[in-house]
Amino acid sequence: MAGERILELQDIAVEFSGFKAVSGLNLGIDRGELRCLIGPNGAGKTTALDVICGKVKPSAGRITLKGQDVTRLPEYKLARRGVGRKFQVPSVFRQLSVRDNLEVAYCKHLGVFGNLLGFKRGAENDGLEKLAELVGLEEVLDQPAGYLSHGQTQWLEIALLLAQDSEVILLDEPTAGMTAQETMHTAKIFNALRGRHTLLVVEHDMAFVREISDVITVMHQGRVLAEGRAAEVQKDPAVREAYLGSGGIADA
Amino acid sequence: MTRNRDAILRLVGYALFCAAILVVPLFVDNGYLLNKFARYLVFGILSLALSLSWGYAGILNLGQAVGFGLGSYCMAMALKLRTIPIQTGAGGLPDFMVWNNVQALPWFWVPFHSYAFAIAAGMAVPAVVAFLIGWFVFPARVSGVYVAIITLAMLVVINLVIIDQQPYTGGFNGITDLTTLKLFGIEFDAYSDATYYLAAITLSLCLFLGLAFVNSKTGLILQAIRDDETRVWYFGYNVAAYQNFVFCLSAAIAGFAGMLYTLVMEFASPTFLAVPISLSIVIWCAVGGRASLVGAALGAIVVTGVQGSLSDTPAFLDTWMLIMGGLFIVIVLFLPNGLISLIDLALGKRRRGRAATAAASVVAIERSESSRRQSAAR
Repeated sequence: MAGERILELQDIAVEFSGFKAVSGLNLGIDRGELRCLIGPNGAGKTTALDVICGKVKPSAGRITLKGQDVTRLPEYKLARRGVGRKFQVPSVFRQLSVRDNLEVAYCKHLGVFGNLLGFKRGAENDGLEKLAELVGLEEVLDQPAGYLSHGQTQWLEIALLLAQDSEVILLDEPTAGMTAQETMHTAKIFNALRGRHTLLVVEHDMAFVREISDVITVMHQGRVLAEGRAAEVQKDPAVREAYLGSGGIADA
Repeated sequence: MTRNRDAILRLVGYALFCAAILVVPLFVDNGYLLNKFARYLVFGILSLALSLSWGYAGILNLGQAVGFGLGSYCMAMALKLRTIPIQTGAGGLPDFMVWNNVQALPWFWVPFHSYAFAIAAGMAVPAVVAFLIGWFVFPARVSGVYVAIITLAMLVVINLVIIDQQPYTGGFNGITDLTTLKLFGIEFDAYSDATYYLAAITLSLCLFLGLAFVNSKTGLILQAIRDDETRVWYFGYNVAAYQNFVFCLSAAIAGFAGMLYTLVMEFASPTFLAVPISLSIVIWCAVGGRASLVGAALGAIVVTGVQGSLSDTPAFLDTWMLIMGGLFIVIVLFLPNGLISLIDLALGKRRRGRAATAAASVVAIERSESSRRQSAAR
């Protein structure tokens, strides 16, 4: 791995009223990497993303982004420093058109007063239309997002993250509820993004993970169990042990 | 391109509405009626202000009348100080203060000798009160029904304080026996054309400035906050700052409406910031269409207008409230987006909109299918 460390988690612990969702989590991600995070249910994958994007504050440990300590920053300040997040349940602005959704996500100016004078922002629209094309939504730009199908909604949220242009993009099960074909289309989008953005993807679909990942991190019981390429990880006896009873990693 | 056409249609609609309210005095030569119509227009401004915070940003402010009442008192204080009273204390003390044994003009009354100060305060005081409430509420991520409860509680508290501080506020009676406002050589008598025009022009300005505001990027972000507040935080926007901004803006507009109301009614009263009027604003907004500025204004005018004419008609003296209640239920049930959605229906926009969506998604699905097939073949 040639790149610099863009994101580093050190000894992160998260407790929910006594229950330790994550403990002693160490994770380092290089700039431009596409990292997949897998693990059995309850392994703490989503919690790990929550900690990185500021939704949940860790009870111990330290998070550094581009060399700076960001452990205590609120989520909107983390977003300003370049962390974008896609949620497990697709969340877009259903009453707004697809174009307006992208417009909101395209946030070069964040202040209330700066945006008061921003009207129909012609020059920016070009870029947004290209984005819509990338995820196949160019035909529905002027439709309310609430009319989109589930797969389209997922793609729209991915497009929102791209419009936001975060350096680090966290994705929680981006292919949930997609057909096999839609999943493969998503894999293509992700492969086009690697290098430019740093992606951290939580996913269950191993076919998808194999398609996109450089390095896979396997989590179990709130900590990292194994890390490596897909083939290495699958052979790891500890990983097999963790997935025992759920039919092995391939079905997870 | 339908986007541009819709925007132009909307502008034309707004312009027609403003033209309609501005020509009324040409046809009505009756001071009593004009005064009544001016009152409806003031309610329209008030309803429009709530539509900004509720319809566009999802903040249901049940204490909208706080701004209205405070604005009304600011104007009344300035007018009271210029009234030539029958009974006055030392230095032209307002009559109710004399009755309450107040010896000297309280410090916060003093600057109201200036109209400029009073008019500025009529908007600034409501905005500052709103800012303080918003400053506690929004950064704490309080939203939805809890905002409604807190704002309602705030309304009751401020109402009680005003009633309780009788020596300084006139208590239950409010501030009465006011002179008429004279500004730039125009006398704003409650029954004159001038006062009606003032209300109509203010409403027109509010409509167009409001339209510009909701179409700005700030307006767009507020609508996004209404749809999914959490999502907006993760784009890096300080959602609380946006919410507080629109909350204050709405209060300032309500304050201006309050000042006009004092001119129209010729007094200020604690009933202007009581619970019944505050809840009425919500009804006007819902009936007219809360996500449309002109809809909200129209809602206020229609509801108060119908209310006024029903309660003035002897035949409906006992039943007018029942009829109003029935109307609300019918509208909320069958027109959830308010009376203004009738226009969309009349233009057949909704049906066409649906057909277009269906067609577009079929096209999109076909396209993605075929591209997938191609990629699979490769």
